[in-house]
Amino acid sequence: MTTTSLTSTTALDDHVVVRGLWRGVDVYRCLALVYAVYTVWHRRDEIAMPVVAVVVLALLTAWTVAQTVRPMRTVRAYAVELVIACVAILMTRVIDDEAVITAGAKTIPSIWPAAAVIGIAILLGWRGGLVAAAIVTICIFLEVGTPTGNTITNSVFVFLLGGCIGYCVDLARASHAALTEAMRRDAARAERDRLARTVHDGVLQTLSYIHRRAGDLGGEAASLGAMAGEQERILRTLVSQHDLDVVDRAVAGDADLRAALRHIEGEQVQLVAPAAPIMLPRRVSDEMVAAVEAALDNVRKHAGESARTWVLLDADGKDVSVTIRDSGQGLPEGRLEEAETEGRLGVSSSIKGRLQDLGGTARISSGPSGGTTVELRLPAGAP
Amino acid sequence: MSAMSGEAEADPPAQGRQVPDRIRVVVADDHPMWRDAVARDLADAGFEVVATADDGRAALARTRATVPDVLVLDLNLPALSGPEVCSALAAAGVDTRILILSASGDQQDVLDAVKAGALGYLVKSARREEFVAAVHATAAGEPVFTAGLAGLVLGEFRRPRSGNGADDRVIPELTDRETEVLKYVATGMGYKEIAGLLFLSHRTVQNHVQNIFGKLHLRNRVELARFALERGLDLADPAS
Repeated sequence: MTTTSLTSTTALDDHVVVRGLWRGVDVYRCLALVYAVYTVWHRRDEIAMPVVAVVVLALLTAWTVAQTVRPMRTVRAYAVELVIACVAILMTRVIDDEAVITAGAKTIPSIWPAAAVIGIAILLGWRGGLVAAAIVTICIFLEVGTPTGNTITNSVFVFLLGGCIGYCVDLARASHAALTEAMRRDAARAERDRLARTVHDGVLQTLSYIHRRAGDLGGEAASLGAMAGEQERILRTLVSQHDLDVVDRAVAGDADLRAALRHIEGEQVQLVAPAAPIMLPRRVSDEMVAAVEAALDNVRKHAGESARTWVLLDADGKDVSVTIRDSGQGLPEGRLEEAETEGRLGVSSSIKGRLQDLGGTARISSGPSGGTTVELRLPAGAP
Repeated sequence: MSAMSGEAEADPPAQGRQVPDRIRVVVADDHPMWRDAVARDLADAGFEVVATADDGRAALARTRATVPDVLVLDLNLPALSGPEVCSALAAAGVDTRILILSASGDQQDVLDAVKAGALGYLVKSARREEFVAAVHATAAGEPVFTAGLAGLVLGEFRRPRSGNGADDRVIPELTDRETEVLKYVATGMGYKEIAGLLFLSHRTVQNHVQNIFGKLHLRNRVELARFALERGLDLADPAS
């Protein structure tokens, strides 16, 4: 927060609290000037050098008028104001007699320096407020020489003012930023939903229509239809992942196995999953995904071009299981056994190894109709 | 996603049922292009399209008015959604069988519609033969059970049940055999394959599948009634 305020030359801070505070500072500065003039007038008889006092008050007035007519809400302007305040405080030592000061007379600017402290607190937060308060306090102490009870009380007030207002401004800015972020996310979600509806109502319908009609026509058109179907599937997946919270949770720790495996879906591979998420620790889910990918690689290599694969996710409360079954079509006679002994065992050991590391099991079997079934099973609560 | 897995359903309609000469169908879809194409395909295949509807409310009204054998229902309809139409038809006691045909990938919607009484679900990109076979199967009371739908139904039965059994009716669970059949369907096996694997007849596998659907619908009704009871709603169980 502090850095942004530093860089912005004009504090175009939209926040309503900050705007209110700035108006308050402007009003306060004028009232404080009136009060300073009044106190000097009130004790005009004890002032040793009235001319210098008038000059100092004139300086304060000039600055106050300038800041009221055309407020400058920059760090530089408030640094100047702080310097003017400090000079005015220190000039009291020249203007007044030692005895008068020690007796507890007010400084020439009186409460005027507080405006500078508040302004810096608004600009730079609680740290800036405390620093400005410390500078003013040092000047007060230098001016007095031997501090009185009043001096100490005044400096405590200056510190409170700088610290508290700075802290309030920090809070206001932080909550404002949080609110803006929430609104931005809401808008992003709404826009995404709107897009999803549009895509669903138009593009998806058309793509699936093309897919279907082209399939009926056969031949060259059928392959065009298959392309349309593929795009339809990808687009549907894209627009259905509308819940940003799921994405957030995935980044945070646990991952939904369904979402983690979504990329495997294709013309030949179907992901079959429940409607509810299957949450696993990120590391476990990554390993499961790797095991499923290894199994699918194996299918691609050995089961033939036309083989279809189904990947079933099932969480029965005790275990999480993933069943990968391929139809094994297009496999020449005897090729299955060959594959069993050569390639599949190698891959199967890598799949089994992964599952064992996770505390689960992997079972590989071949079905009666030529397909292979790989069943990955992970006990719930496994590491 | 793109095809029916249980190719076994492509069988001609069951013989025993009093199938009228022409199966009467209502088509509900808010896309004119789709609605017309589906209606034409059905007419070409010998079905009688008695009405079409372009939103959920019209679908409900025309189905109640004409009581067709099959309602081909798009999931994302304006006015009333697909699942809502299914619930309303079940509540009204209309015994039209419902086939969900949707381009939507929203699994929860599909599951809701099937729980509310739809007999099957087919993606819109399914081939024409698949679609026609599915309408035949639906008319014959056969669930159109794709692998994707089987996965959703399996997940539904895995879901921990709410409530503490204050109700005297038990929420039905699947038998081990039914779960086994369901898992096989969910990995893309047809009924013939499953029958061969489990040494059962094709008919027995079909019965298991129908029982699974029956339990799913019963479960849905029990849960709705429980929900109403917990909230203190004065709702008569519409289906019983």
